[in-house]
Amino acid sequence: MRPATHRSGHILSRRTVLRGAGVIMALPFFESLRVLAAGTTDASGHPKRLALVFMGCGINPNHWWARGAGADMEFSRTLAPLAPFRTKLNVINGLVNKPAVGVGIHPGQTGNILSGVPLAKGAVLRGGISMDQVLANTIGRDTLQPSLVLGCEQPVTGYHETNFSMAYSSYISWQSEDSPVPLEVYPSLAFDSLFENRGSRRLESILDRVRDDAASLESLLGADDQRKLEEYLASVRDVEKRVDRMRTDQAGAAGNAADRGRPLATMSRPDNGLPQDLREHMKLMSDIVAIAFQTDKTRVATLMFNRDLSGMFYPFLGVTKTHHSASHDDTSDDYEKIARYYVSNLAYLAARLDAMPEGEGSVLDNTCLLYFSNMWSGTSHDNTKLPIVTIGGLGGTLQTGRVLDYSAAGDGNRKLCSLHLSLMDRMGTTLPRFGDADTRLANL
Amino acid sequence: MQSSPKDLPTRRGIITASLLPAAGMLLAAMSVHAASAAADTVHGRRFQTLVRPFVETYCVKCHGGEDPEAGLDLSAYTTVDSVVSGFSDWDLVLEKLQGAEMPPLKAKKHPPPALELEVAAWIDALRRDEAGKTAGDPGPVQARRLSNAEFDYTVHDLTGVDLRPAREFPVDPANQAGFDNSGESLTMSPVLLRKHLDAARLMADHLVFTTDGFEFAPYPVLTDTDRDKYFTLKIVDFYKRQPTDLAEYFAASWEYRHRGALGLDAASLADIAARRRVSARYLATVYALLTDGRDDAGPLAKLRAQWRAMRGPPQDPAALHESAVRLGDFVTDLRERLVPAVANLSAPPIHEGSQTLVLWKDRQMAANRRRFDADALHVAGAAPRAVESAATAEQVATAAQLAANAPDAIVTGAPAADTAAARALKETIRSGGKFIAPAIVTAGTSATTQLAAKQNRDDDPDLMVPAEPAARARALAAFARFADVFPDAFYISERARVYLDAADEQKLSGRLLSAGLHSMTGYFRDDAPLYDLVLSPADQRELDRLWRDFYFSAAIPQRMHTSFVWWERTDSTFMRDPQFAAFRPEDKSVTDQDKIGRLAALYLAKAVANQANSTVQEAIREHFRRVAADVALVETERAAAEPRQLQALLGFAERAYRRPLSAAERAGLLDFYRQCREKNGLDHEDALRDSVAAILTSPNFSYRFDLKETAGGGKPQSARIAPLTDYALASRLSYFLWSSMPDRELLAHAAAGDLHRPGVLAAQARRMLKDPRLANFSAEFLGHWLDFRRFEEHNGVDRGRFPEFDNDLREAMYQEPLRFFTDLVQSGAPVQNLLYGDYTFVNAPLAKLYGIPGRFSTDAWVRVDHAGEFGRGGLLPMAVFLTANSPGLRTSPVKRGHWFVSNLLGQRIPAPPPNVPSLPADEKSLGELSLRQSLEQHRKDPQCAGCHSRFDTFGLAMEGYGAIGEVRNVDFGGHAVDSRAEFPGGVMGEGMAGLRDYIRAHRERAFIDNLAAKLLAYGLGRTLLISDDLLLDEMKARLAADHYRFGAMVETLVLSPQFRNRRSQLQAGPLTARYISPHIGDNLVH
Repeated sequence: MRPATHRSGHILSRRTVLRGAGVIMALPFFESLRVLAAGTTDASGHPKRLALVFMGCGINPNHWWARGAGADMEFSRTLAPLAPFRTKLNVINGLVNKPAVGVGIHPGQTGNILSGVPLAKGAVLRGGISMDQVLANTIGRDTLQPSLVLGCEQPVTGYHETNFSMAYSSYISWQSEDSPVPLEVYPSLAFDSLFENRGSRRLESILDRVRDDAASLESLLGADDQRKLEEYLASVRDVEKRVDRMRTDQAGAAGNAADRGRPLATMSRPDNGLPQDLREHMKLMSDIVAIAFQTDKTRVATLMFNRDLSGMFYPFLGVTKTHHSASHDDTSDDYEKIARYYVSNLAYLAARLDAMPEGEGSVLDNTCLLYFSNMWSGTSHDNTKLPIVTIGGLGGTLQTGRVLDYSAAGDGNRKLCSLHLSLMDRMGTTLPRFGDADTRLANL
Repeated sequence: MQSSPKDLPTRRGIITASLLPAAGMLLAAMSVHAASAAADTVHGRRFQTLVRPFVETYCVKCHGGEDPEAGLDLSAYTTVDSVVSGFSDWDLVLEKLQGAEMPPLKAKKHPPPALELEVAAWIDALRRDEAGKTAGDPGPVQARRLSNAEFDYTVHDLTGVDLRPAREFPVDPANQAGFDNSGESLTMSPVLLRKHLDAARLMADHLVFTTDGFEFAPYPVLTDTDRDKYFTLKIVDFYKRQPTDLAEYFAASWEYRHRGALGLDAASLADIAARRRVSARYLATVYALLTDGRDDAGPLAKLRAQWRAMRGPPQDPAALHESAVRLGDFVTDLRERLVPAVANLSAPPIHEGSQTLVLWKDRQMAANRRRFDADALHVAGAAPRAVESAATAEQVATAAQLAANAPDAIVTGAPAADTAAARALKETIRSGGKFIAPAIVTAGTSATTQLAAKQNRDDDPDLMVPAEPAARARALAAFARFADVFPDAFYISERARVYLDAADEQKLSGRLLSAGLHSMTGYFRDDAPLYDLVLSPADQRELDRLWRDFYFSAAIPQRMHTSFVWWERTDSTFMRDPQFAAFRPEDKSVTDQDKIGRLAALYLAKAVANQANSTVQEAIREHFRRVAADVALVETERAAAEPRQLQALLGFAERAYRRPLSAAERAGLLDFYRQCREKNGLDHEDALRDSVAAILTSPNFSYRFDLKETAGGGKPQSARIAPLTDYALASRLSYFLWSSMPDRELLAHAAAGDLHRPGVLAAQARRMLKDPRLANFSAEFLGHWLDFRRFEEHNGVDRGRFPEFDNDLREAMYQEPLRFFTDLVQSGAPVQNLLYGDYTFVNAPLAKLYGIPGRFSTDAWVRVDHAGEFGRGGLLPMAVFLTANSPGLRTSPVKRGHWFVSNLLGQRIPAPPPNVPSLPADEKSLGELSLRQSLEQHRKDPQCAGCHSRFDTFGLAMEGYGAIGEVRNVDFGGHAVDSRAEFPGGVMGEGMAGLRDYIRAHRERAFIDNLAAKLLAYGLGRTLLISDDLLLDEMKARLAADHYRFGAMVETLVLSPQFRNRRSQLQAGPLTARYISPHIGDNLVH
């Protein structure tokens, strides 16, 4: 046998080959197909969802704080839009992604924020699989779409002055150590990927096709050979039946979920093309995440409100600088306005999820929205600590209503990857280590 | 073994000779008896008079009635026909009789030996007769899917990439002959089909689309980053493969010059170029420059002097290389100093790093590769003078005059670029003046600095030109030719930011084919010297194709432009004005022609309003022209590529199905594609992916249906036996010898319709044996025959006790027999080398285990002769077998012995009874008794001895090798190793040498018989029948007649009627052929 050629870990990622819109859907574990279709919940309760919401280039350090706990929590200006959710959120300070510190600004600080693996400079991309894709490979098997990766800003792939590829600034979801998950920027295409059932249609078409092939072969074969072909055909029919059943199950699931979230269940397909106004764009993308969670089309979503080194601009805020330039004056009012605008978008998403009833509470109660940036201060490119907020109780597994500060906990106890491990645990995937951490985050 | 003599096996039917096609069939003796004739034959009569009474007297008491012993009911055999159809039972009877095992000792009645001999002889004769009658029967070869290994090899050959999708498939079971390449054991299930489907879609994700069709990458290519990586690596790889080392050309030139003395009289320059693997074109250019004596001044004169000074032969290669390198270094050093500097264009508020300006600079630098900087030269004897600030018109005039009269004057400053005077000044410069053009002076450089730099250059004799005009002209011409033939770079494979300080940027490596921008996506092709000087026309086309496919597949022009739009608003502030608000990078329409045009106009207007000079304006215009043209080109090519890619899809299907497609099949494929587009709403690329996935899931790909006719033909003919079509034959050959799809040459013969001709068939087999793909055959045939195919996953070794057993050693152990066997087959060595050869093959880890001194590497395999000095040589002492047949912490003579007789010699050993107590796992725990002593049980207890006496002792002879095959004198239990053994028949022997002697004297025939039988079963893809006996004889005869060359058996097999024909399937009958053991000689030792 020839010695195996180098393969870059695609065994894991095979099932999550995504193209933002045109998802190539892998067949889920039939055995664990949600009984949601039957209108009941399984023993462990409602499905838990995780959304990773990213904003690039840091926040205004003077206006990012919270005090108190629970119903008495107070917020700074930037975090004020989250006040209605005070009992359901945690403001977490002091965490760090060590492999991204001191390696070079911008892309080196961003690409591995969900993987905790040092990034490679120069010609060939290399990092590590991101935690949302780890979840996509595990719990993602139970849903139509293993994960959803959306963004509002197109990727750029040149080279930064630090000799890291700009791909690290553009993508935080990586399906393998060297390949990012394509980002979907068009709302209409993101919508289609969830609701148009294209994935199973494609599977069915292929199965139909090979069944036809077998049928035309049959007439050319003798009796013994036909028997072998019949074995093949039986297998094809079996697989087809499962695909069909999965589709009806999913349709049923959608119906049931829709029943429960009655007022907000329907969302019409967004128009083709890009919304002119960024505000509309961000809202649409948030809507899509919300409805994907509600209908259980997916349980893992990554939403990049913007990119690192972002070129977004905000005429409606009265700010003339683009995002990255403004972040270089991070204590300015302008930048505070920008950061607050993003937080208000987060609040919008939380509100959408909170308005969808589920069980005794809402979809938000079974969700965790993890909001974070790749830096604390954009002016100094300081990422020795990161701004992080979680919203949602994750099905009761996550205590909320707290302000947690790990700044003084010591470097071994404030790893961002520890947070990732803790969240993955709660999502049902237990790993011994992830990125640079092998312990969970204490007191979470 | 149940037998049902009432079944009529499918092989018994009636055929008539007239239905046999004429071409090349050896089936003269193919008639099979009708049932009624047999009873009257000699065998029939003897059966009734001799055999039946014998059986009834001595056998039926146990082997008959309601519950026959061992399930063998001999009373049911009432006719000779029944014996023939249930022959496997009678084969067993023969074996038991000849081995004196039956009747058992405890039986009451025992036949006289003479009678036993007669019965045995009858069975034997019946078999031989039957073999003769049915010789050449192709046998029931079932259609089947590709085995996992075949799947992987086929995918590799089909796509060019070793994707190995079958790694995830469940392990294939083997048939009775021990191989997994037979329909007897290969089945399909929904689970496996789903895996096939997933594998097919994964493979489709590896597709890369080009202007002509598509190819496969070693990794999925779905994002822009994947595409960029694929093509940049391919292009850079292409560059690096080209011969651009000047020293090689000087060495080659030297060789040509001295070709007479070197004995290469007849060689032309092109021949020498081929020998030394350099470009013939460029060698001719270089050689002409060295020898034609034109422009013999300046650098050329100096170069030629050094060339002439090179010593003639004899010259040792190292010294020649050194002097060639010296010439090369002279050229490159000087050349570096002649590179014209290109200053940045500056036009605030346009950012210096804007694509408009940077790409302009790239283009200038590219254009300069074969030009020299006249400013770098100095005129002998002239002293420089400086004049500052030629900003106003008068200053320009003064400067012009100076330049005309004092060739070494340096003038700095920035005259208004558009004045007539400035233009005239520029003209003067071009004709030899010494003005540093305003655009080239970077901000802040003073005349003094320039002067200082120039003074440094003036000390450089290589950069001097004579003052006298005619001589100076000759010198300049020499410089021009020098620069033209020796470019400053043949190609630029990577670039950091070109508008910043080069020294600072040096550490930013790895930006392949970059345009030198900051943060933006941007590539720039800069390889004209390579293209124009070195490449052959075919290579030029390939390089063009690579770049074209790159831009096409990764939409480079579009992405560069969207990058541009993003950047001009962020790092650059140029596009922050509201007038540019309509241009957003997220917007797909930003690359529409009209939007590009509008942006171009707005951009230019703003530049002009900010006093951009004419060069800048032209740079801007040129930039947007190119963007528009490149974007349009990619779009046009994408449209034009669609039909070509569909044709490529059909071609791919044809290769995947291993045969031509019918018109209906072609139409069906295109129809499916259209369905994907229209019904499923997929774009072109996704529709192609699904089409490829469908092809790879189709039974036409994953099954071996050896169809009688090519697709589209009618029902199979009614003949019982028919020749395989040439396409079927091609596949049968390739899956036999390569475990993979047929290659172009085989398919060409199939297309020409001559593959079935014996001469062609034999020649192809011989060619295939010599092919590197024979390694696949070694893995599959040898690996299954000797039961080590899955050794790469072997985890039975305790790595705590044996820390040297790591994955590298395991892999090396696995490879050793494969390398040995492949070499044996390809070199035509005798098959007995497998047993007695005093050599083996090792790499570093294996050499270490074997204690073979020398320098080895993990990747290189080396043949080691006189391996006997290290206790090695041939298959028997190979670590893989010794390890695979050891339970991890101790040796197992039983397992090793069993492997030896069962696998290697083909002796049939029944399974052990269910309630045997086991030996301790660890040698250490055996306590007082040695392993050998513990095994004495096997010999003492007659119930055990019946089988164990046949093989235990062979394992004992191997006791000199430990649990991982290491040579040892003491075992883990502390006992001294004792490898003496008493082999069956009372022959004494010791160790490997004793074992070999024994084989040579008593079992070599068995080995050959077994080898032939295994090969035949593997080659035919089915278990053997009596009808194969004569073919086996023929194979062995040809083997012996041809120095026991393995290939002789292969050729005989391939030319046999069994291989070249198939049974047609008129009626459904029992599918499985009952296994008949081939007649293995000498395995029965009394």
